[in-house]
Amino acid sequence: MKRILSLLALVASGLVAKAEPLVFPVETATLKNGMKVLIHEDHSIPNVALYIFFKVGSRNERPGITGLSHFFEHMMFNGAKKYGPHMFDRAMENSGGSNNAYTSNDVTVYQDWFPSEMLELIFDLEGDRIRDLNFDPKMIDSERGVVASERRTSVDNNNFGVLNEQFQAAAFIAHPYHWPVIGWMSDIQAWTLQDLKTHFSMGYAPNNAVMVVAGNVTASKFLKLAEKYIGNIPRRDPPPALRTVEPEQMGERRIRVEKFAQTPIVMIGWHVPETANPDYYPLSILQVILLNGESSRLYRRLVDKDQLAIAVDGGMSQSFDPMLFSITAQPREGIEPEKVEAALYEELDRVRKDLVDEKELQKAKNTLLAQFYRSMKTISGQANTLGSYEVFFGDYKKLLEAPDLFEKVSRDDLKRVAQKYFGEKNRTVATLIPAKEAK
Amino acid sequence: MKRSLLLILLLFATLTHRTNAGEWVHFPAYRRTVLSNGVTLLVMEKHGAPLITVTLALKSGSLQDPAGKEGLADITNDLLRKGAANRSAEQISDDLDFIGATLETSTTYELTRVHTEFLKKDLTAGIDLFTDLILKPTYPAVEVDKLLKQRVDGIKAAKDEPLEVIGHYYQQFLFGSHPYGRPPGGDEQSTDRIRRDDVVRFHELAYVSSNMVIAACGDFSAVDMEKILSSRFGSLSPKYITALTLPDPDPVAATRLELIDKPDSTQTFFRFGNTGISVTDPDRVVVDIVNTLFGGRFTSKLNTALRIDSGLTYGAASSFERRARPGAFFINSYTQNDSTEKALNMALNVLKDLHEKGFTDAEVASAKAYIKGQFGPRVETADQLADLMIRFEIYGLDKKEVDDYAARIDAVTSADVLRVIKKDYPTTNLAFTIIGKASQIEPVIKKYSAQIETRSISDPGFGKK
Repeated sequence: MKRILSLLALVASGLVAKAEPLVFPVETATLKNGMKVLIHEDHSIPNVALYIFFKVGSRNERPGITGLSHFFEHMMFNGAKKYGPHMFDRAMENSGGSNNAYTSNDVTVYQDWFPSEMLELIFDLEGDRIRDLNFDPKMIDSERGVVASERRTSVDNNNFGVLNEQFQAAAFIAHPYHWPVIGWMSDIQAWTLQDLKTHFSMGYAPNNAVMVVAGNVTASKFLKLAEKYIGNIPRRDPPPALRTVEPEQMGERRIRVEKFAQTPIVMIGWHVPETANPDYYPLSILQVILLNGESSRLYRRLVDKDQLAIAVDGGMSQSFDPMLFSITAQPREGIEPEKVEAALYEELDRVRKDLVDEKELQKAKNTLLAQFYRSMKTISGQANTLGSYEVFFGDYKKLLEAPDLFEKVSRDDLKRVAQKYFGEKNRTVATLIPAKEAK
Repeated sequence: MKRSLLLILLLFATLTHRTNAGEWVHFPAYRRTVLSNGVTLLVMEKHGAPLITVTLALKSGSLQDPAGKEGLADITNDLLRKGAANRSAEQISDDLDFIGATLETSTTYELTRVHTEFLKKDLTAGIDLFTDLILKPTYPAVEVDKLLKQRVDGIKAAKDEPLEVIGHYYQQFLFGSHPYGRPPGGDEQSTDRIRRDDVVRFHELAYVSSNMVIAACGDFSAVDMEKILSSRFGSLSPKYITALTLPDPDPVAATRLELIDKPDSTQTFFRFGNTGISVTDPDRVVVDIVNTLFGGRFTSKLNTALRIDSGLTYGAASSFERRARPGAFFINSYTQNDSTEKALNMALNVLKDLHEKGFTDAEVASAKAYIKGQFGPRVETADQLADLMIRFEIYGLDKKEVDDYAARIDAVTSADVLRVIKKDYPTTNLAFTIIGKASQIEPVIKKYSAQIETRSISDPGFGKK
């Protein structure tokens, strides 16, 4: 069934009174095994971006097998039935394609970029690994080394990574967001073949996935191939629903990490609802006002006026369960982290006590609109945006409603959410302090 | 009414270039005008998304930095947004952010870039800002001071991330006293020597009409955009900048190695190589193929050996940084401390095998397919097209780099491949830059060079003074 996603509604809402209407046709279908498919035809370059979102991530793990979803993402490239060890990448790159993947707390996403004449080969490759992934003990050991190296680079040797890991673990004491996506090093070293097999059958059901394609394809031909290569992969039970809900935080949490470093880092987070919650819209606007660009509240105060920080960054990531709104700042040479903190809280108190300017609110809405257009500049961005909306908002058509919902946000809404979420009891503060000597 | 409107819009959508499978991309037509004062305008229409990109490129960059004041070109460029015409730094940020526009400034050896992107409906506001920043910066003393201090702190913070700084160290170590050895962003000490006067003088020197190339790409009429840009930049009085004579860098004459101690490091980061090729090297297309196979894609020889087959690293690659003269060539990777020797030996063996075994016809064909298959997304956005227009202009190339690329790739022979391996992939006389835990890896590192220099990551600068 064809739905035309149109920004005519945006014109009607008055948000983009002078903007040109943009046509963005999306065709949707559900394969016989339950996999949802979204197709956007774009013939400006002879290429295709294909993303498959599996709704499995680190939140579906438990202590002892943390990092397994991410490891699984690696193993998906290491050999199935038709295409043996390492053949996936070779077959793809030898014909002109490239690929990648990422794992988050919530999802694992496989990304293929290729010239359109490769479409059938891509389906052959994807069908093979989703249906018949192979688990070879030698491969497991070698890939374990790669993941350990990745952990060392992105966490152990990276001050932001180390701090973020400790920070998130302190903010979440019960919910699976407590452990890192890449897994604890001891778990990485301990995964077994059986762990992998169990995890595969739990997470990789086709009915637990959304396939999104943007580029030089014809929808009808695409769907035929999808049914042929993917449609007959049997459906399975999706991962069991999570039981554990993070209990309400009852007081500020503070942690210190001492490590060799040239500069300290401060990371602060507040519990906020999941993406699908209506407060997502005012919180997103607040994120722009606080953190986006050099006119933002926090940049202006911390980096520019008081010169307390080298940089300040942050915001929310998309999630299925309540997550964090986090802010990271690097203090300038000779500035105590506590001073940066104090200034930051003063700025947050301002948005809690006073309404923001009308102009500031309009700025945020203008920025979000411009960001939307930017995210749709490439077929890659289109696939990512469509897929993210489908997965985190429950329906890609929410993309159409978003401008209206942003437009409706009032200054009072911003004050309300600032008061509700940015309080002392709801925050976790993590500081990396340069250690005097390296171990 | 809605139905017919939809139909019209659908028609519009299909008027954009429709690509058939197997058809190669065409670089879109654009208008090139040189104004009487020497400003070059490059204007290309691109309809679809209601966005406009405008990029200024100066035909000069950090090579113009006075000795001891490395980073001046970059700083002068970054300070454009800190006060211009009758707008303060704050007002500029307010105005940019209010329309959701982006502004990026960057500098490399031979090029200075100011890039902005805004919505079509904000064309006037966007162009006004862009023009003011470039032509009338005020460089308030308070802002200059602030930025200089921020940069010094920023350089120190960057030294916590080896991957962020290893390039600066390698560049200085490889090129030595050649101008390419001077860091475009400066270092802690050079930044400390820079004053407001230097910045003002530098702007007067470099931001002159004959030095300016302005590329615009987006949802506008080319004729109108040309008129607008001409009216903003056409009245600049004609001025010239003295061109620099830049010699070719000397290749490394005898293997040398620098070890930068980062005592908390659990991994060793390495980069080694020699001088490489220029942007206009006649063999540049052959190098694209050879480097794809050697270290330029996931299934390359280097990555296959160091990551896929042995799990020693998360990534190993090789690169040619192409510039007006031969830039750096290097092989790079990282591994945990106790596999440092294994990884280095492996990388050197892959390089040796390159010469001894070369590539099969099937491998060369696969590289050709890969390069062609991955090309489309490189000419997809207005930003990319604007940057390409600039690249053609600055380096004396033309749109055949895009239009004829597939044919040029197809024309490469196995003899070409052999020739480039011999010429451009040195196995001896290499410069090595290594960042890691010296107390653990120094005994092992000694084997790779008779000449070894050690320094600490906390030392100011990016190498020997």
